[in-house]
Amino acid sequence: MPEVVLQMEGINKTFPGVRALSNMSIDLRRGEVHAVCGENGAGKSTLMKLITGVYQPDSGEIRLNGQPLKVHNPNDAYAKGIAIIFQETSLFPDLTILENIFMGHELRRPLAGIVRFLSFLDYPAMRKKAGEIFGRLGMEIDLDARVSQLSVASRQMVEIAKALSFDSSILILDEPTAALTSREVDTLFETIKKLRTHGVSMLYISHRLDEIFQIADRVTVIRDGEHVQTGDVSRVTRDQLVAWMVGRTLDNLYPKEDIEIGEVVFEARNMRQEGVINGVSLTLRRGEILGISGLAGAGRTELALLLCGLARPDSGEILVDGTRVAIRNYQDAMERGICYISEDRQKYGLVVPMTISENITMPLLARLSGFLGIINSSKEREISATYIDNLAIKTPGADFVVNNLSGGNQQKVSVAKALATEPRILILDEPTRGVDVGAKSEIHRIISSLARAGKSIIMISSDLPEIMGMSDRVMVMKNGARQGELPRSALSQEKILHMAL
Amino acid sequence: MAKKRVTSREFMLGALVLAFIVFLSLTTGFGSTSGIFSMMLDVSPTIVGAIAMSLIIFTGNIDISAGTIMGFVGFVAAVFAKAGYPFYVFVSAGVLTGMLLAGLNGWISVTFKVPSIVVTLAMNMVHIGFYVTFLPNAGWVLNLSDSFTFLGQGRFFGIVPFIFVIAIAVAALCIWIVKYTKFGKALYAVGGNRQAAIYAGISPDRTVLTVYLVEGLLLGIAGILKATTANRLMPSVFQGREMIFIAAAVVGGVNIMGGSGKVLGAVFGAVLVYLLSITMIYLGFQDYFQFALQGIIILIAVFITVTDFAPLRKRLKKAFAPKKAT
Amino acid sequence: MNGTTTTDSTQSRSVPRIKFTYQAALGLLLIALIVLFGILQPVFFHLNVLFDTTSIVGEIGIMALAMTFIITTGGIDLSVGYILQLSAIVFGAVLKSSGSLALAIVFSLAAGTACGFINGIIISKTKIPPLVTTLATMNLFRGVSFIIAGTSSYAGFPAGFKLISTYLVFNAIPVQFFYFIFLFVFFNLVYSRGSLGRSLKGIGFNEGVLIFSGIRTKRILLLIYTLCGLMCAIAALIYLGRLSAAKTSMGNDLNLQVITAVVLGGTSIMGGVGSMVGTFIGVLIIGVLRKGFTLVNFSGNIFNFTLGLMLIVALIVFAVIEERKKTSGRILK
Repeated sequence: MPEVVLQMEGINKTFPGVRALSNMSIDLRRGEVHAVCGENGAGKSTLMKLITGVYQPDSGEIRLNGQPLKVHNPNDAYAKGIAIIFQETSLFPDLTILENIFMGHELRRPLAGIVRFLSFLDYPAMRKKAGEIFGRLGMEIDLDARVSQLSVASRQMVEIAKALSFDSSILILDEPTAALTSREVDTLFETIKKLRTHGVSMLYISHRLDEIFQIADRVTVIRDGEHVQTGDVSRVTRDQLVAWMVGRTLDNLYPKEDIEIGEVVFEARNMRQEGVINGVSLTLRRGEILGISGLAGAGRTELALLLCGLARPDSGEILVDGTRVAIRNYQDAMERGICYISEDRQKYGLVVPMTISENITMPLLARLSGFLGIINSSKEREISATYIDNLAIKTPGADFVVNNLSGGNQQKVSVAKALATEPRILILDEPTRGVDVGAKSEIHRIISSLARAGKSIIMISSDLPEIMGMSDRVMVMKNGARQGELPRSALSQEKILHMAL
Repeated sequence: MAKKRVTSREFMLGALVLAFIVFLSLTTGFGSTSGIFSMMLDVSPTIVGAIAMSLIIFTGNIDISAGTIMGFVGFVAAVFAKAGYPFYVFVSAGVLTGMLLAGLNGWISVTFKVPSIVVTLAMNMVHIGFYVTFLPNAGWVLNLSDSFTFLGQGRFFGIVPFIFVIAIAVAALCIWIVKYTKFGKALYAVGGNRQAAIYAGISPDRTVLTVYLVEGLLLGIAGILKATTANRLMPSVFQGREMIFIAAAVVGGVNIMGGSGKVLGAVFGAVLVYLLSITMIYLGFQDYFQFALQGIIILIAVFITVTDFAPLRKRLKKAFAPKKAT
Repeated sequence: MNGTTTTDSTQSRSVPRIKFTYQAALGLLLIALIVLFGILQPVFFHLNVLFDTTSIVGEIGIMALAMTFIITTGGIDLSVGYILQLSAIVFGAVLKSSGSLALAIVFSLAAGTACGFINGIIISKTKIPPLVTTLATMNLFRGVSFIIAGTSSYAGFPAGFKLISTYLVFNAIPVQFFYFIFLFVFFNLVYSRGSLGRSLKGIGFNEGVLIFSGIRTKRILLLIYTLCGLMCAIAALIYLGRLSAAKTSMGNDLNLQVITAVVLGGTSIMGGVGSMVGTFIGVLIIGVLRKGFTLVNFSGNIFNFTLGLMLIVALIVFAVIEERKKTSGRILK
């Protein structure tokens, strides 16, 4: 009878407006690699954050080795033997591998004689232990190398070693292969197998089905915060997994209208970025909505950045209205009528402490100002009022600080800001992520009306129903390359997922 | 490739120091015993001050009131000595003064989340204004008592000044503490990646508060070392001294943004900056060139630390790589 | 738009009003100080004494206007005092060697602008933060001013020159005050209603988003630091007119006065929020303090001490307000 080390039962977690986990249950056996699978947004991250103490469950129970478990914070989790390998590393780049592994829990030795109660760091002991750990992982490594000099894969190894230095018996890996080359993935899997023989139990979060079949013992599928199925990997097929991940009915109506689609206005040929994008081409017509689907890490955002000048490709061409154009920076793109609206508003979109009006008119400052750079405030008011109206932004006034708006309204301001430059081609990256249901459909309505007005739209989305409801065509990406394309008439969730996984 | 325990940078600095000394000895009267002796005398307080400053910089903070604090320390110690208190009393008084003043800086910065640059900028003015206004004789202490100055005159074997030995001892102790205690690691952690430090269970606030206290202690020592070699004292003698400490630290490889650097580097940096200024004097430059020199040194050293040379290196490699046959 | 504090739920519409309230409170403080000094030394109430307080605001004020731009972007310029010193020394040196007033003025302005330009280039082109940059250049400029002047100081400026600072308009108000007001009007206009002002605030909040919006932030940064250098040079001329001598000790205290004026006026040291009107009042407060202290026989050092205290207190107060704002939570959903 396999021993259960970690058990979660009846877990519920709700955030304002969003039900992240609903009656979730999962168990982890000793020495197993248990894959957790689901689309973007299904609840995998939240689950892990509950285990490692970043969040607390609203209800339900977690048991560690049979005893009820309460984890207050990540540090606490470490102390109890649970470690998580993040995607964004929490390492100190200027310090050595050895220092990073033991930071905060260094091994010490007492001083001699009268000052016996004081202790100092015991480097030989730490080196020995680190040596053991890396030995277990089957690696030779220079403990005095600085982390900043390491590749992403090596840094991940350091994170794993760090986790093991806590004598963790439970390891959670969150999309560990996202940034790795295939050779590095093999190394990682070797490591995982070794860990398994040492009795470490692992939760492996991933949507890469090939990997799951390669490395996992059991797999659990989550969908919309609920547990769908758990099964032995040896007795499950790929199709079954996909079906479990999808299994929902399309009951949301999307305000998509049938518009006459015009000529090709935008074309990208053979876009290449070393290690990231592998020769992707696409075309976009007037009035068309091209959906780009794919799993996280497939390169969709990276592609978008290349198309709008925020990143430079190693090779590739961009054509606007049939003429080749050079887009060296975002300004060039703006001048050509291309704009990018990101879901990461803090980074790309809005200056949060400023008002709606100030944000919307920001790209237009040059146009709005006259002598001495004085801003024409009546024109400014006019423009912001127009957009607030058109996009139905809920606010008592244009002089409201963006920080106080809801996520959905903030997103609308972000859209307004992009629209203010009167672009012809819009690249939307997850336009409704983090937005409540009401605002979501409004944003969809806006997108449709933009298409109707003759604008051309590329929409990146992880929300399958959304992408299926809004797009004229869907291009699916995988591993930085174009995997395939589906016209609206042939769309189905299974087909998209099959291509994406 | 395993790196040496003493990294290549410190090696280079040490070599530079040696080279300088040799150069100066050959070309000027520097190499004589008196020359080396006065160097040891002059550079000792700077070494301790540079160490103090680098500890602060490791955490990503700064203290531009360090010079004034040193001045206060010297003043307080001298006053106590003059009043007849024994050695250990006036030394403790000085050191405590340092800890109090620096600790205050740290406390304000941490509690109210105000950047240390502005806190120490303002506090510097507060300190200066305070002593000139409220201290008798505008702070001058004359005719320092013997018990005070003996420290400055004492030497080992008649050659090595007492205070130099103390400075080296302090340096050795600090190097050890930074390397062999959790506190030392915490300094780098807080300055390198504050969030990760919190995840690792380190409290940035406590670490920063403590390091300011330590700085105060070290400045206390530095202040006393400096003061004992003078015959009259005023708190403002050291105004602006912190620039030398900062220059010494950055030359020694301490990253001004925090998170990396070695105490030993700061020590060499202090000596190097000193030697540079001696060289300039021997070359005929007046001593106010010091300011310009320090400014340029800081700029160059920081530029090197802050800039990412990787793309440049790549381009150079490509340019010099053997052309592949097509 | 740039309120410093808000406590009621009729949020942002009242934000301009709140900002006005803080500056109004500052104005009240100014008046209170005048009254206080007047009580201590009744001669303070005499009009010409009162107006005399504005005699020093010429230098500080002009520098503070430019400094407001800089601090709004989240940066700082610690070298302003020494840029002024260097410009003054250059003036003295050129006057001495060429005898031409015009040449001296030109060179002095050029020197100051060049210093500002150096700051600007380093800050906009390299990743060295403004703090470290100006900490280093402060020493550099100071050193250069010493190199030029040696240990001597320059004096004996032509009488006509003195007039630029000592002329009394209506036989009462120092002309510098008018320079200050004149420049203030322009600076304020650009700051509160110009695209430059908005960009500065944006840079202080989130430079990345501004770059993304097509605004050339690096160019703007270069501009404001260079402008600051120019302002310091102009201030140097006014200072020289008043003192009639150029010495190598001028730079030390000015930094503190300029920065205190700006911070007191409500410009946040973290950037993004600021008020040119506040700076204006802040400068006046410093002028009144200076004059008042002289009248009650407090030395220049007590003045610095008080200024340092004011700066610390102002920083702490603003920091506490910022913290409270963060934890007050969202008002609108």
